[in-house]
Formats: sequence, structure tokens, C-alpha cells
Amino acid sequence: MADISQAGATLTADVPVSGAGRTAAHASAEKARQPRGRKWVGYIAFVPFLLVIVGYELLPLAQLVLDSLVGKESGALGLENFIKVFTTPLYQQSIINSVWISLVSALVGIVVSFLAARFAYESSERVRNAFTMVLNMMSNFSGVPLAFAFMILMGNSGVLTILGERWGIPFLADFDLYTGEGLLVLYIYFQIPLATLLLLPAFSGIRKSWREAAIILQASPLDYWFRIVIPNLMPSILGTLSVLFSNALAAYATAFAVVMNNYALLPLQITSKFKGDVQIDAATGGALAVVLIILMVVCTLINNYFTKRASKGREII
Amino acid sequence: MSSKTKAVKAAAPGKKTPLAAKIFLGIVGLYLLVPFLTTLVYSLFVEWTDVLPSGFTLRNYAELFTNSTFWFSIGRTLILCLVSVAITIVLLLLAMYVVVAVNRRLGRFMQFVCMIPYALQGVILSIGIISLYTGTGTILSNRMFMLFGAYTILVLPYIYQGIRNALNAIDANMLIQAAEMLGCGRFRAYVQVVLPNIVSGILVSSLLAESIVFGDFVLANNIAGTNYQNIQVFLQANMARSSGLSSAIVVVIFLVVAAVTAVVLKLQHTSQKQ
Repeated sequence: MADISQAGATLTADVPVSGAGRTAAHASAEKARQPRGRKWVGYIAFVPFLLVIVGYELLPLAQLVLDSLVGKESGALGLENFIKVFTTPLYQQSIINSVWISLVSALVGIVVSFLAARFAYESSERVRNAFTMVLNMMSNFSGVPLAFAFMILMGNSGVLTILGERWGIPFLADFDLYTGEGLLVLYIYFQIPLATLLLLPAFSGIRKSWREAAIILQASPLDYWFRIVIPNLMPSILGTLSVLFSNALAAYATAFAVVMNNYALLPLQITSKFKGDVQIDAATGGALAVVLIILMVVCTLINNYFTKRASKGREII
Repeated sequence: MSSKTKAVKAAAPGKKTPLAAKIFLGIVGLYLLVPFLTTLVYSLFVEWTDVLPSGFTLRNYAELFTNSTFWFSIGRTLILCLVSVAITIVLLLLAMYVVVAVNRRLGRFMQFVCMIPYALQGVILSIGIISLYTGTGTILSNRMFMLFGAYTILVLPYIYQGIRNALNAIDANMLIQAAEMLGCGRFRAYVQVVLPNIVSGILVSSLLAESIVFGDFVLANNIAGTNYQNIQVFLQANMARSSGLSSAIVVVIFLVVAAVTAVVLKLQHTSQKQ
């Protein structure tokens, strides 16, 4: 995931591709035989890709935007659906809950993973490799399997719930997985491996000599961390934060497996409008989807901005 | 990079992991492992209503492996994985030919459209496709068409990234020009010279894409639902019914994905060494 989002560089600049080795006569003869036709033929290979992209990516997106703009009652083009979404308590609550859970889980995730990445960076190679292995393996543990594992652990008759009752630990005994707080615990769980894997490479940019220089200049450890390391890592931290935020925002499987559609959360509400026991309501669903799309696009733009800044910083050093 | 790590090592021979680091990483690692380990233990015992589970058994696995619905859902999942990843690879290889050999300016467009699914993820993608095609009465409203289309788009960013990196690494343009000088057609040069050189590069990203399709619940549930149950939908359907059986499914899913991840890490490691 990380390498994808950090794909900043585009293909190398346009270089005119011509058969440099051919003799002029040969080239002109070929030109006469195949006037432009050959160039046009070359584009045929692009057609299947284009068809699939248009049919399954661009048109579906356009369809959602269209759904959102055609008023549910009036049938006219306008912002009617958006006004409805922003004034109906259920949808307001969905947006608020989604943003809240995503933000809190991203913040907790980034703090824990910052410390984890820091300690992993300071560890011996053996410890670091073992830890990275655990991160890689557990970053796959998400969605429905993760939800199920947490139900066994902290559900109504979960192992930890029973232990909590036995040993009188109210936090565990009374913990309710099937609420916003329960979802938050799940979300934090899947944020930590992802965030640590994204942050670990950034630490390799911290030079050992900086610490020595800081000590010589009589900086306290606190100064060193808050005035040197953290500001230096800030682009990576903020970029990772936006990845975590959008990751939680779009998460569906985990939440659905735990609370089904019985919780006001953006992805759950959107899906239930298009697929569900009740009638399909593309207008409201479309408007909610566009709200989610806008949030996701903003996150991506923020991440791109910080990724570029982070790589720029590296080049200067 | 390597010289730097060597220098650090030389400065502090036999560098020990600080105690604080050991404790913190131990706690985080344990925290990450506990949900899976609990599920694993749960799947191997008859009941766990006390502090410790009781009655070791392989009953859940025996039940799972003799369940034909399970094997069908595994089969469907594998078909989805293999077919959609194969389609995406073919589409991208053809399109990349145009970018490499005909018109480089399309590269920017390719990158843009290939990164959109990464930003949008499953919910939006599946809902858009459902909204567009359901009830149109054409062949496109067939759930299977929608499902394969959706998966093809879902894995696009990962495979695109792999192919692009591989093409950049071998300087495909140069190879094609060289082949052309020797009298080979461009497309033939692309197929016979460039493609054999990027196979290993595509392999890693394809495996990654396979594990993403294998772990997908959103697209399968939203588009096909119970009509074409993949392993994740099968798990979700069984969760309320039998927790013993479900825990065995979770363990199987995790082990499969972990095996694929291990192969990916191994391949990445060897390619880095080279």
C-alpha cells in the first residue's frame, strides 16, 4: 500500500522514438508504405483497457454523481439530496460517526506506531526483522475474520469478557463490542500494523550524527525528539495520518460483520441504500457516496502533498 | 544505505536492543497476535466458557473440510482471484505497450486512472457498478460480469505499479529500439524481448493482488451476495450459526493469506539483494 501511495514520479519525459539506426532511404520507403496507419494501429492495444476503465471505473463514478444530483422527490437536477443528507439526523450522525471513528483511530494508531517504529528502529536487526514480520502478517488480519476474532475475544460471551467477570475487571466485563466504542477498538487494531509499516522507512532518514550534534549543543533528549526528529518526520507522519484516516473511512467489512446495518456509519448507510431489505434509494445513497468520495479525495490530495514534501526533504539531505 | 548500516554496526559492535524497546515491541506484537491466537485456540477446543478452554478436538476442521459449501466457496474465490488478476495483467500489458512504444504521453493518464481505485476502495466501486448496471436488462447486468469487472478495477493499482516499476527498471524503450534496429517489429519486440524480462517483477505485485481479492468481502457481498458466495461471504454467513466452524474458517483464511505474504516477502527480499 505504501509504495502505491508514494508513487510520486511519473514516467520519464517524452522522448521522440524513431528508428535511429535506419538509413534515410529505408525510412522513407517505409513511410510511403505505411502512412500514419501504423501509428493508428498501435493504439488498438489500448482499447480493451480503456473499455474496462470506462465501463467499470469512470461510468460507475459518473453514475453515482448523477444519482446524487437527481432529486429524489422532484426528479430535477439540483442539490436537493445533499440538503436532505445534511439535515436528516441519521445521515448527519453517520457522517459525524465516520469522521470521528476514523480520526480517533488514526490518531491513536499514529501515536502507537510512531513509538513502535522508533523502538523498532533502535532495535537490533534480528528484533526488527521479527517485528516487521509480525506487522506484515497481521496487516492482513482485517475485515470479517478480524471482526470474528474480536467477537470471540470481547463479545457478549467472549474470553476476555468472561475473565473480566471472574476477576472483577469492569472495563472488560462491561465492554460492549457492538457500539461505536467497540468499533473504535477494532479500527485501532487494524491501523497499527499499517501505520508502523508506513512509518518505519521514514526513520532511516534520521542520522545518528544529528543526535551527537544535538548532545554536543546541550540539547535535552526532549529537545532532540520534539525539535529535531519529529519536525523532520512530520511530512511522513501527516502523510501516514491521512492514509489511516481514509483507510478507516472506507472500511466496510469489519463494521458490517460486527453491527450489520444497525449503526450510523457512512459506508454502512451508503450500502444499505443500494442493497438491502428496504427499497433502493439511489438518490440519498448517491449523495452519501459523493460525501464519502469528497472526504477520500481530500485525504488523497493531502497525502500526495506530504509525500512529495517528504521526498523533497530527503533529496536536500 | 548498506554502508551506513555497516558503519553503525561497526561503531557499536554487538548492539543490543534496549530494554524499553523490547518491552514496547513485545506488548505491541502480543496485542497484534492475540486476536488470531485466541481464534486458533478456540477452533481447537470443544468449549471455552471458563478461564481455560477444555476438550481438545479437531472436530471443527473435520466438519469444515467435509463441508461441500466450503469447498465451493474456496473454488469460487480462487476463480475470482485467478481470472480477475489475469484479466488485469493482460489489459495493462497491452495498454503499457502503447505507452512504451507508441505514445508516452498516455502514461500520465494511465497513472491517474489506475490510482483512482486505490483512493476510492471497495464500497464506492461496488455501489457505482450496481447503480449503473442493475436492471438495465443487458448482459452487463449479469452479476458475474459486474463482479469480475469490479475485481479487475480493484487490483488495478497494485498490478499497474508492479508493471510500471518493472518496465522502468529494464528501460523497455531502449530494448524495443534495439530490437527494431535488428529488424524486429515493435509489438514483436515488446512480446518477445520486453515481457520475458518483466515477468519476475509482475509476479510479486500479482501475488499481492491475489491476496487482496482473497481477502475481499465488500465487492463479493455487495455485488453477488449469496448468489456467488466467496470465502469471506461464507464466513460471514456462518458466523452467527456456528462459532466453532467459523473459527476454523478464520484460521484457514489467515494461513492461506499468510503463506502468500511470506512468498511475496521472500521474493522482494531476493530481488532487493540482487
